[in-house]
Amino acid sequence: MVFNSLPFLIFFPTIILLYYVLPHRYRWLLLLLASYFFYGFWKVEYLSLIVFSTVVDFYVARYLNQSDVQARRRLALSFSLFSNLGLLFFFKYSNWFMNDVLHPISFISDGNLHFWNSNWNFLLPVGISFYTFQTISYTIDVYYRRITPETNPFKFALFVSFFPQLVAGPIERFSHLNHQLFKRVDFDYANIQNGARLMLYGLFIKMCVADNIAPIVDQIFDSQDEASTQQLWAGMGLFGIQIYSDFHGYSLIAIGAARMLGIKLMDNFNAPYASLSIREFWTRWHISLSSWFRDYLFIPLGGSRVNWLRFGVNILIVFILSGLWHGANWTFIMWGAIHGFYYLIERWTGFSSMKSNAMKPIQWITTMLVVFIAWVFFRSPDIASGLDYISGLLYFHKGSLLLDWNVLLISFIGLFMLSDLAFSNGKISDWLDSKSFVSRWIVYALMIYSIMAFSGTVNHPFIYFQF
Amino acid sequence: MKIATRILVLAMLLPALNWLYVHTSYKSYLFEEADQLLQVEKVANCDVVYTSASSNFSPDPWHESHKKISEFIGESNPELLIEAFNIPASHARIHTILLRRIPPSSSIRTVIATVNLRSFGADWQNSILETPLNKKNVMYADRPPLLNRFLVSLNFYDNKSDLERENIKLDLWAQTTLPLERVKSNVIDWCAEEKWGDWTNPKRQLADQFIKQYAFVLDESNATVHEFDAMIEICKERNWKLIMHILPENIEKADSLVGSDLTDLMVQNATWLERRFIGKGATVINNVDLLPSSCFTDKDFPTEHYNEVGRRSIASSFSNKLKTD
Repeated sequence: MVFNSLPFLIFFPTIILLYYVLPHRYRWLLLLLASYFFYGFWKVEYLSLIVFSTVVDFYVARYLNQSDVQARRRLALSFSLFSNLGLLFFFKYSNWFMNDVLHPISFISDGNLHFWNSNWNFLLPVGISFYTFQTISYTIDVYYRRITPETNPFKFALFVSFFPQLVAGPIERFSHLNHQLFKRVDFDYANIQNGARLMLYGLFIKMCVADNIAPIVDQIFDSQDEASTQQLWAGMGLFGIQIYSDFHGYSLIAIGAARMLGIKLMDNFNAPYASLSIREFWTRWHISLSSWFRDYLFIPLGGSRVNWLRFGVNILIVFILSGLWHGANWTFIMWGAIHGFYYLIERWTGFSSMKSNAMKPIQWITTMLVVFIAWVFFRSPDIASGLDYISGLLYFHKGSLLLDWNVLLISFIGLFMLSDLAFSNGKISDWLDSKSFVSRWIVYALMIYSIMAFSGTVNHPFIYFQF
Repeated sequence: MKIATRILVLAMLLPALNWLYVHTSYKSYLFEEADQLLQVEKVANCDVVYTSASSNFSPDPWHESHKKISEFIGESNPELLIEAFNIPASHARIHTILLRRIPPSSSIRTVIATVNLRSFGADWQNSILETPLNKKNVMYADRPPLLNRFLVSLNFYDNKSDLERENIKLDLWAQTTLPLERVKSNVIDWCAEEKWGDWTNPKRQLADQFIKQYAFVLDESNATVHEFDAMIEICKERNWKLIMHILPENIEKADSLVGSDLTDLMVQNATWLERRFIGKGATVINNVDLLPSSCFTDKDFPTEHYNEVGRRSIASSFSNKLKTD
């Protein structure tokens, strides 16, 4: 089920109603059933993958908690990592690995590749990267004895599958989410109000901004040879706005939905396009993923307490794997590598540490250039297309592409970018609180009307679903 | 109490927003994305409605009259005002939805429904054109326009991808058994028969298309049959006379490329439809074998696109029926 669908608009109010009607002790069961229904509505057979991850990590974590033999604990952790990452690799990366890695280096023959492609053509399970990372973080935290494991497998199943953040995050930590799922929540109007506001704003930026930009971006990237220099620049900028409004919109709906259930999820974005450096960008963009990589990969690799060469290698490993996390394609690796290399350049030249006000515009422009050029690879089907696109940006040429711009779309984009700077980190709710009842409802009415009358009509699922 | 107040405000707000939409953006959206609904007003004031896909209006562009079949029928019946719903690739379901939108006070007395044999086959039913047509249908539904527009953006329609539709089609072709000898027991096997050599031969390509379009046996489970049933129902409700017109198919070409096994199926299916629709109270004109191959304008794919001679012949069979009935 996706958030911008009629089934969800029926499903969610029903769950809210039942949640507050049911006695406290049954609520988590309702959420578990609702979460499995939410996921199974898309493809019921893939529920088995969530069940598998849940069972493996539940029992591994219990063993890790009970055992004091370090070698056995390490073996159990390895088993969990192998199971989770193995599933992820099989469903997400195996086709790419066969076709784009092994086959080009002649490690696999044409015949075997054909056999593989004919027999292993399956749909990527939605959200597998998100819930896999969530369960991995749980097992690692238990291994390091940072948390005590859950003793009830069904309660643990809810932590893994909690529907608002199941398919596209935020990637939550057990210590932050689990106790909230089972605490007593009294009906609180403020939760309903704040959650509904976030959901409304999230739907607005997903459906009015991202979905209206999507056809233009598709047109430019799909016909980049026919696009003029200006259109290529516009396409690059618009994709940056599209992916942000798409993913930020999804996260806000997820956070808002959880808030209405009395559960506070972590923020995932904080005005990333206001960043003055790549380092800052990654503290503002997809915060739950960047903090995951920091805590579970970068720091175990030695973090910044190593020599400069090792530090550079660590950074590149983290950024390249972060790119690969997004998808099975060299373009995502390129995207991660661009961020990694520029991060190191900033760090080693001290460019990002310069504090003078005069430097800020230059820092902002260079950061945004790097971020948006990296987006070109993220959006391109292959590295060659990405390089062609970048080269098209660098020399002036006319094009024959006709784009369907309209004033409304430009207004939506402008409104979104302004509101993002003004109400970063989901603070639109605080701003609305300071307004009168009538003013608030004028804002609500405008958003509802825009969503109902002017949303994009091309079927574009959330971009991050594929990850 | 606070929540009840908000729900009340919302309940009052939504009709107001719908009013705003109807009086501002609605018409321009329909014009761009779902313009057939705009034809309903025009059609409502005529005597006869002619519903069709492209067969009504796809003449050979080079050397002849561009008049539609419905216009030729009108020429023969000057006392009748005839209007047409012309929607490329459409079928009975869409026509029925539009007929439902005609106000009960309309002057319509007769509905002519074109029955295209191909529209009962797996290829048409699972065409990639279905998704955009289904999207338009959302706007044609009899609900507040703002709600319809919202449902379009929520993708509240059958929006299977091209690949999904292709797979369904392939499965149906492979699994649906035909009452023929073993090598022709389903569409895939039949196409595999290399009567005209390999794939590079245009005759082979066209023969395969004929098999894919017409090799099926109609029965009560066919989805398109039920769509026509719904059309029969609305016509009964509105007291409209319904004439079902089974369109001419290129039987001559099918016979020369594939053979009598296929043309027998085509004629049998047309006869089955004729009997069934008569049984349901409709008037049926079965023109399936009316025209020679020379009247069909498309030479590389089986279609119901006719030249002027063909369109005039169809119209004349029609107008006679209109007069005698």
